[in-house]
Amino acid sequence: MKVVATYNIKGGVGKTSAAVNIAALAAADGLRTLLWDLDPQGAASFLFRVRPKVRGGGRKLVRGRSDITEVLRGTDVEGLDLLPADFSYRHMDLVLDESGKPTRRLRKVLAPLGEHYDLAVLDCPPSISLVSESVFDAADALLVPLIPSTLTLRTFEQLGDFLGEVDRRPDVLAFFSMVDRRKRLHRQVVESLPQGRGDIAATAVPAATEVELMGVDRTPVVVRSPRSRGARAYADLWAELRTRLDL
Amino acid sequence: MTLEVPTHTFALPDGVDPAALVSFLATRFDVVSEPPSSVTYTVLDTADRRLGAEGLDLALETGRGEATLALRDGAGSPPATGRAGRHRRWLARDLPAGPVRDRLVPVIEMRALLPLARVQADVQTLRVRNRDAKTVVRLRLTTHAALDVGPEPVPLTPRLEVQGVLGYPRPVARLVTVLTTEAGMVEAPASTADEAVAATGADPGGIRTKVRVALAPDDRTDKAARRVLRDLAGMVEANLPGTLADHDTEFLHDLRVAVRRSRSVLRELKGAFPPDELARQRDALKWIQAITGPTRDLDVQLLEWDGLLAGVPADRHAALAPVRTLLARHRAAALRALKRELRGPGYRDAWAAYRTFLKAKLGPVDERPDAVRPIADVAGERIRKVHARMVEMGTAIDESSPPDDLHDLRKRGKELRYLLELFGGLWPDDVVKPMVRSLKGLQDVLGTHQDREVQADHLRQLADDLAGQVGGPEALLVLGVLVDRLEAEQHDARSHFAERFADFASGKQQKLVARTFGS
Repeated sequence: MKVVATYNIKGGVGKTSAAVNIAALAAADGLRTLLWDLDPQGAASFLFRVRPKVRGGGRKLVRGRSDITEVLRGTDVEGLDLLPADFSYRHMDLVLDESGKPTRRLRKVLAPLGEHYDLAVLDCPPSISLVSESVFDAADALLVPLIPSTLTLRTFEQLGDFLGEVDRRPDVLAFFSMVDRRKRLHRQVVESLPQGRGDIAATAVPAATEVELMGVDRTPVVVRSPRSRGARAYADLWAELRTRLDL
Repeated sequence: MTLEVPTHTFALPDGVDPAALVSFLATRFDVVSEPPSSVTYTVLDTADRRLGAEGLDLALETGRGEATLALRDGAGSPPATGRAGRHRRWLARDLPAGPVRDRLVPVIEMRALLPLARVQADVQTLRVRNRDAKTVVRLRLTTHAALDVGPEPVPLTPRLEVQGVLGYPRPVARLVTVLTTEAGMVEAPASTADEAVAATGADPGGIRTKVRVALAPDDRTDKAARRVLRDLAGMVEANLPGTLADHDTEFLHDLRVAVRRSRSVLRELKGAFPPDELARQRDALKWIQAITGPTRDLDVQLLEWDGLLAGVPADRHAALAPVRTLLARHRAAALRALKRELRGPGYRDAWAAYRTFLKAKLGPVDERPDAVRPIADVAGERIRKVHARMVEMGTAIDESSPPDDLHDLRKRGKELRYLLELFGGLWPDDVVKPMVRSLKGLQDVLGTHQDREVQADHLRQLADDLAGQVGGPEALLVLGVLVDRLEAEQHDARSHFAERFADFASGKQQKLVARTFGS
């Protein structure tokens, strides 16, 4: 099972949208896919109409004391299952801190699911914490949405520096998210990137109404409007990611 | 850890209109219909229906776009898909990298996936939702027909597949209760693929390798033997087209096994047949075994090639490429010769004569002393005698015995194995099964011992041909490593002989054989 995590230290940059749509596209390609909504806000769980509740809470789950098969939920997308969010995830840093080898816990929780899934997508909360470190350890790849701004690349490079210090460095693929071509700054930042930079995807996901409507329709845009600009962008992004993951 | 969701496949009872069923369900559940779809696909499976036996369905879909392989495992997950490419049959190496190949290869092994039937299906997908408008059960209502089986498509049983959603067990349980108690639905007895294959006139179970003949202990030996032989002859005939088409190596293998078993029956139960005719038929089957041998030997070499390479340092693998090329070339030549023989008058006449022998009158019983004796007596006597002879032969084997002694013992072991496989059903399972197990343990060692010797000899014989090839001299150098490895494995097999034989020939086992199969 390959593990990919959508991650950014900042919130509201399109992590959940990317996680949900990438997971749905993977499932549509026949990959047995799991989406783990690690964000206590539970946006991904909400989008899939699954109650953000894990029996026994995050503490039992992370410590391996709950039956993970009991907490998984099938989604409306065939082949895509969800490990829902739980409000107790807001204390996950503390729970990890109390456990032995905290940065390896999430990998351990995922290990028994390896025989059942081809891909796990982790939708991470915005922070840099023990949770993030545990995610970095579990992930084969980090998918990092970046909103084009002057500080974006600096923040991304800081992430690179941080990853340089972890034991098990995942592959990193950033992509520009919520790109509004009408804004000069967005255009400038996207166009100023050196060509062929390996850690930034060729695909940029546009700021699009149909993507925002996901919160209303509670359906991934790639399912509801597969021909829309946003959906096509996610499909291209998934194709890039799939090649990198060798899936 | 299991993540399976409940799945059910119901056959629609005669007279139940699919549309009426949907309307009925809509009165009881929040049902959403997806747009209907139609698909024409080809059922792919191995000749022995390995996928069917594992509950897998593989469809080749050739719509407007690229041909696709869609693999359903019946456990409720969506199909794994991959590009089909253009093939007349799919061996493991022809499958697209990814989940389709990953899931199929351990099941099909060296067998080819072949088109077995064509189906046209109209599918209506429905979803049952809960109060949050979340899908909690999926339904697929399918009406379909087998194509290319006659002037008109042959309708197959319409079916409703019900698939639960992980984490929502109650709604699916409730739906199934309604379907079975109120709508009179029953689980479909056979898969669509089975029905479609049956519509073509073929056995949905695929080409068998096990004899399926019900025998009673007091059946006349000549009649019982001929029933078994006719079943085996059917297997030879079933595997002949695949052998000629060279779909995969197992058609020839299974054909040879059926011939070998037939020869064994004729040899062990010879007292049931007229001697002259028996001798003619035994010669004919021996000839078939002989003409099919070279191709099979080369198949074994090529099938075991990767395993053989595993014992050679990776940096030498490239040097051995000419050996494999040569083996493949020899195999192609052997196959050409085999096809000539199997398509020629010699085989045709021999097989027709053999078939006649299996149904013609066998003549007076005075020259066939075992003909009217009960099969349990005759087969039991042979089992006892072959077992005793093996014990005698094996006991005489020591470290100084030549390899031929082990080979002879193996041949006897095959006789015993076939007797047990073909007639063992006449005795209690709790005697026969452990006996087969200990025999198998012994035969595995003897088989490895003999196979490695044959393989090593074969490779040595390639030396002359290799010398003239590009890269031949380098290959010759590394060939020695391969031969050494085969000899080491042969030696290793021999070192296990005493232990396996002791198990097979234990006093307890001998007493059990005497008691069960005694006169």
